[in-house]
Amino acid sequence: LDLETQDGVRMTWNMLPGTKQEALGCVIPVAAIYTPLKPIPDMPVLPYSPLRCRICRSILNPFSIVDYVAKIWVCPFCFQRNHFPQHYLSISEDNLPAELFPQYTTIEYASSIETGSKMPSVFLFVVDTCMIEEEIVFLKSALSQAIELLPENSLVGLITFGTYVQVHELGFGHMPKSYVFKGSKEYTKEQLLDQMCFFAGKPRPNVGVIAGPRDGLSSESVGRFLLPASECEFVLNSVLEELQRDPWPVPADQRASRCTSTALSIAASLLGLCVPGTGARIMAFVGGPSTEGIGSIVTKNLSEPIRSHKDLDKGAAPLYNKAVKFYEALSKQLVHQGHVLDLFACALDQVGVAELKVAVERTGGIVVLAESFGHSVFKDSLRRIFQSAEYDLGLAFNGVFEVNCSKDLKVQGIIGPCASLDKKGPLCAETIVGQGNTSAWKMCGLDKKTSLCLIFEIVKKDGPETNTQPTSNQFYFQFLTYYQHNDGQMRLRATTLSRRWVAGPGSTQDLVSGFDQEAAAAVMARLVSFKMETEADFDPIRWLDRSLIRLCSKFGDYQKDSPSSFSLSPRLSIFPQFMFHLRRSQFVQVFNNSPDETAYYRMILNRENVANAVVMIQPSLISYSFHSAPEPVLLDVTAIAADRLLLLDSYFTVVVFHGISIAQWRNAGYQNQPEHETFAHLLQAPCDEANAITKERFPVPRLVVCDQHGSQARFLLVKLNPSVTYNSDNPPPPGGDIIFTDDVSFQVFLDHLQRLAVQ
Amino acid sequence: VDAKSLPRPLNGDEEPIKLLEMYPFNCHPRFMRLTTHAIPNSQSLLSRWHLPLGAVVHPLAEAPDGEEVPIVNFGPAGIIRCRRCRTYVNPYVTFTDAGRKWRCNLCSLLNDVPGEYYCALDATGRRCDLDQRPELSKGSVEFVASTEYMVRPPMPPLYFFLIDVSVSAVCSGLLEIVAKTIKSCLDDLPGFPRTQIGFITFDSTLHFHNLKSSLTQPQMLVVADLDDVFLPLPDDLLVNLSDSRHVVDAFLDSLPSMFQGTSNVESAFGPALKAAFMVMSQLGGKLLIFQSTLPSLGVGRLRLRGDDLRMYGTDKEHTLRLPEDPFYKQMAAEFTKNQIAVDIYAFSEKYSDIASLGSLAKYTGGQVYHHPSFQTAVHQEKLRYELARNLTRETAWEAVMRIRCGKGVRFTTYHGHFMLRSTDLLALPAVDCDKAFAMQLSLEETLMTTQTVYFQVALLYTSSSGERRIRVHTTAAPVVADLSEMYRQADTGAIVSLLGRLAIENSLSQKLEDARQSLQLKLVKSLKEYRNLYVVQHRLGGRLIFPESLKFLPLYVLSLFKSVALRGGYADSPLDERCAAGYNMMILPISRMLKLIYPGLFRIDENLLKDLKEGQEPLRQLPLSAQSLDPKGVYVLDDGFNFIIWLGRMLSSDLLNNIVGVELASFPDLSRVVVCEHDNEISKRLMRVLKELRAKDPSSYQSCRLWLCRLDSSSIQAITRLVKMVTT
Ligand SMILES: [Zn+2]
Ligand SMILES: [Zn+2]
Repeated sequence: LDLETQDGVRMTWNMLPGTKQEALGCVIPVAAIYTPLKPIPDMPVLPYSPLRCRICRSILNPFSIVDYVAKIWVCPFCFQRNHFPQHYLSISEDNLPAELFPQYTTIEYASSIETGSKMPSVFLFVVDTCMIEEEIVFLKSALSQAIELLPENSLVGLITFGTYVQVHELGFGHMPKSYVFKGSKEYTKEQLLDQMCFFAGKPRPNVGVIAGPRDGLSSESVGRFLLPASECEFVLNSVLEELQRDPWPVPADQRASRCTSTALSIAASLLGLCVPGTGARIMAFVGGPSTEGIGSIVTKNLSEPIRSHKDLDKGAAPLYNKAVKFYEALSKQLVHQGHVLDLFACALDQVGVAELKVAVERTGGIVVLAESFGHSVFKDSLRRIFQSAEYDLGLAFNGVFEVNCSKDLKVQGIIGPCASLDKKGPLCAETIVGQGNTSAWKMCGLDKKTSLCLIFEIVKKDGPETNTQPTSNQFYFQFLTYYQHNDGQMRLRATTLSRRWVAGPGSTQDLVSGFDQEAAAAVMARLVSFKMETEADFDPIRWLDRSLIRLCSKFGDYQKDSPSSFSLSPRLSIFPQFMFHLRRSQFVQVFNNSPDETAYYRMILNRENVANAVVMIQPSLISYSFHSAPEPVLLDVTAIAADRLLLLDSYFTVVVFHGISIAQWRNAGYQNQPEHETFAHLLQAPCDEANAITKERFPVPRLVVCDQHGSQARFLLVKLNPSVTYNSDNPPPPGGDIIFTDDVSFQVFLDHLQRLAVQ
Repeated sequence: VDAKSLPRPLNGDEEPIKLLEMYPFNCHPRFMRLTTHAIPNSQSLLSRWHLPLGAVVHPLAEAPDGEEVPIVNFGPAGIIRCRRCRTYVNPYVTFTDAGRKWRCNLCSLLNDVPGEYYCALDATGRRCDLDQRPELSKGSVEFVASTEYMVRPPMPPLYFFLIDVSVSAVCSGLLEIVAKTIKSCLDDLPGFPRTQIGFITFDSTLHFHNLKSSLTQPQMLVVADLDDVFLPLPDDLLVNLSDSRHVVDAFLDSLPSMFQGTSNVESAFGPALKAAFMVMSQLGGKLLIFQSTLPSLGVGRLRLRGDDLRMYGTDKEHTLRLPEDPFYKQMAAEFTKNQIAVDIYAFSEKYSDIASLGSLAKYTGGQVYHHPSFQTAVHQEKLRYELARNLTRETAWEAVMRIRCGKGVRFTTYHGHFMLRSTDLLALPAVDCDKAFAMQLSLEETLMTTQTVYFQVALLYTSSSGERRIRVHTTAAPVVADLSEMYRQADTGAIVSLLGRLAIENSLSQKLEDARQSLQLKLVKSLKEYRNLYVVQHRLGGRLIFPESLKFLPLYVLSLFKSVALRGGYADSPLDERCAAGYNMMILPISRMLKLIYPGLFRIDENLLKDLKEGQEPLRQLPLSAQSLDPKGVYVLDDGFNFIIWLGRMLSSDLLNNIVGVELASFPDLSRVVVCEHDNEISKRLMRVLKELRAKDPSSYQSCRLWLCRLDSSSIQAITRLVKMVTT
């Protein structure tokens, strides 16, 4: 785990299976979850360009073998010998550049030569106006707060939409002015160029692609729509102040006409025209389902419900595929331009997160789902994006992620917020998972928590190891991330890793010793979600069960056909529990949720690090009582007791649960009486902890405070192992609870597993 | 023929008011005039008349104080009309059967008198209440109409502005004047507090303006999809002026500066027109268009076609004066159908196809205001005045007009700005006191048996106050069997007005030359006929003789030939100016038409030098001939639309400098001199003279140009352009 602190990497196998066959037997793929911008204490930022291998372009790193006399370094990836350039000639064993320090396996370069001038980041707000007045008021106030927090030098634009799309010309100065486009139409960049008068009165350059100030668009015309935050605060606020809800009448039996896709397409094209290649994000605030334009998710007719998972399964969602296709195309455009799409979906209804997912995820956008723009999940999350305090997100733009690794390794792909750059090469595996068949990925938007899941493949064949290299029991990985730092400068972070591989008989113990069961759980969660979305007729439960059984068969200690003899090494022991909860989680049991919610949960899962993913899979539960200090307890219904408080953290929701007696005391107001100070402390403790969690988490989780037997208690119960149900033989202890479910309990699950694993 | 011997109309138009002595129940001639107040009793008689037989109607002519048209409200009883021919009750109906029946003077049907309207008759058979009944004693009355005369609630007065804001409109200073003038008129728009207002501005895109009353400032919404124009808002593009007054004020205040620095040279006029239609179509109203650039984008785009010399004299010549794109006529039809009247203010210094644009005004009862090469300093006063008058004069909304006439005669053609809805119903989305209409009459029977023919003009409209009204003018004319009686009763003004309109219309289907020819032919034939009538009696030989009533006719016809609309060929008037003049002449009331073609010429140097008391010696109109001009004199030529101040070449430089306000020598180009008041007595007196002349006719404002006659050679040129010499 120190490796994570040092490099932001966690791998499923830290001792790698050495051959293809071996790897297949390991069941859990060789994978890494890497957080490219993870803040690493004491990481040097070098003010010069990195040295690159002449052949494979990998970067000089601590694993390079250096010949101080000949001033030569050997690339660990391709074994090429490279001469040091002139300015490295003073190098010696006692005089190493930082990038060769063994502890600096992760290092950054901020060279001015490579980066050019600092670019301001761009924020284009795209705001839905088809909402009830109350929601508009909430949204307005959230937006004006956000505007205050914007970095002074960043550029800001505003688009509002409903039946039509309005692109506000914030730089006009005389009065609020906007360009209006029909929601039902599609507009090309060329049309926008024409219609928004970028060339009014001036001869339009008739050759070449027109894109941004450097390529034909004058900075004045860009400045009509994108203004420095410091200059446009007043205009923006006055526009927001008089922002009306969409004025077109909506019949009682219809949904509002909301052209989300057209608005987003115009937003993308506007950025494409004005600031291509510059860090920019479209921040979409959507308050309901899209009903107009090519990306609509439902018709206006209210009698037709919005698609459910069942509809999607049966292929009974006629608009879904068309919309997804549209957003795929949009994501390609945005990736090409280097721009991010953020989605803030706040409605009781679904708004189309499932359809939008592809565009948000491929561009590395932020997604927040809440019931209302007045809800703290939205309000506080939005504030956090711009807050430049302790918990800021460290938004970065325009990232490119590249991988280099030893030749016996190949990359199947990445599951996470990025898009393939189609850089094909020997590194690409034939089997593709997620964004694959490339060794470079675009990360239009990334922050310090963004975590990619790389799936590797071992291609080394079994057989006599005659012609192995001298260092052949090591595999090397190099992750390079180019990005626009939030200070506007371009940076390059390089992480170089080395892992030993093992093969042949007797390697099992070595493999187990390097197994990271949390990382494995996170990878399995991403994989199962990915497969559910992409593979027709995929049975996730069966796939998870079979994987777990095979894993346990291979790595468990048992006598054949004797379930009772079964045991697992501590390196593997809690993995079955993770799988048990993963099977019951929102990632797999999608029918309990809407497609929008599922898409939301998966998008967050796919961008979070291992620790957070584990909380999503298997929430943490802490018990508070008079009898003991706060302590983690099993995620089991038996944790419930009348005189206990429980704190459940399931990542998206934080539940403070009051046992029935606690609730009674609280209702009686004991906590306000000086003689019951301890009770007051006890009552306060889980709340403090919940606040601490809320503070550092993004999106801000939903906080539920509930009492035993209360209706909100379901938020806790649904996550607990149903060891005691209504048809259990043994009744719950006094003050305990039961769960009304037919789901199997963990014990039953484990019994089955043991029986099958030993066969 | 000796030109000097030609009688000259130095008193302008003379209304045939003497007729009122013989026909006291007729409406005043200011409202309706026949080309001859003697209707021929047979086709054969008519065929010898040669001049047009018809009428000129000016239904809302301004009446002097005390002569206003009385308003009659029948209340719930309803308006008394003939059951058969729908004629309105009028002084010429007769009551019989002890007052229980009335006979229609147009169709002779005996109608019942409704109980509420019953009145006993006196010994002479007249109703006893005649004095209290304007409809039975006055030729003109206005009835208050009940709901049966409405297809919808009366519309509010509505003014919608479509303003070109391309670079030429902004740079000429035009936009600023328009904005300021509109703002200055807001308090005086008729119909408070129901008046509605709205704006669209346009260049290569359309700019809608949200004027919602709850806003603190207007919002501009740009629609650039010219192929698929749509309204960006369902409401608030057209607002109640009193509710949204602060937003409208704010809009007009920022309008001049809003487009400062624009470089947009395009005009999406057609799409803008469609947009305006979409905004107005629910209510109707007046659409005022300010246009500075030839429509270049979207539907209705027009091309430069005005400078083709080769077309002149060919069969295609007239097409230059016709709309090129059917779009404009189609739009006009849509506008009329939705009660929208279009006024065009055109300002371009380049060709802007007035022929096409003007058709919008032509078929909607609107007007064309042409200010070519608009220069703020020279033209702003005229524009201000005319725009303010357009906005503040009383306007009749959603109107229709019909002229009924007695048996035996029938109106066959109508000439003016309107849309003919059925064979005899003129649709007038808006009409006002500055619009007149002409129509031609034909005989239906070979021989008329009646003694008198009656005509009744009925204009049904909504007043600005929201009342539905019917203005009715009734007139009677005798039927005659004698051509000389027709000549005796001829009305030169009405004849010239009708002839002028016919000639303009001919110029739309013929060469100018042919249009003039046919006009001349009518004149010559008619004079020949007259001579034949008298030649035997008076033995006058080869001399040309005129009936007294038509003594000015030859001069006026020749003046028509010289009018901007009809004169010469390619080089004699720019095409746009020719078309604009044509549109203008189609709506002018008689007196203004005559003044336009035969302007007043006044010598004013004495008035400038002496301190005459006001009204002391009225200016004396001089014949328009070179002999009238003394090189030591200062003259004003006034055609009702423009003044030309003619400065004789022997004037003292002191006088000249005082008039110009600066050293004249430093002003090589007099056309750029702005005539305005300077700090000297002469200049002040000049302005007073001009003011008096302007006061004679409030319907337009004469802008003023100076003409200095410096050299003999150029003076001849000047005179030929200035003065309409009579040559035969
Ligand atoms: Zn290399
Ligand atoms: Zn009748």
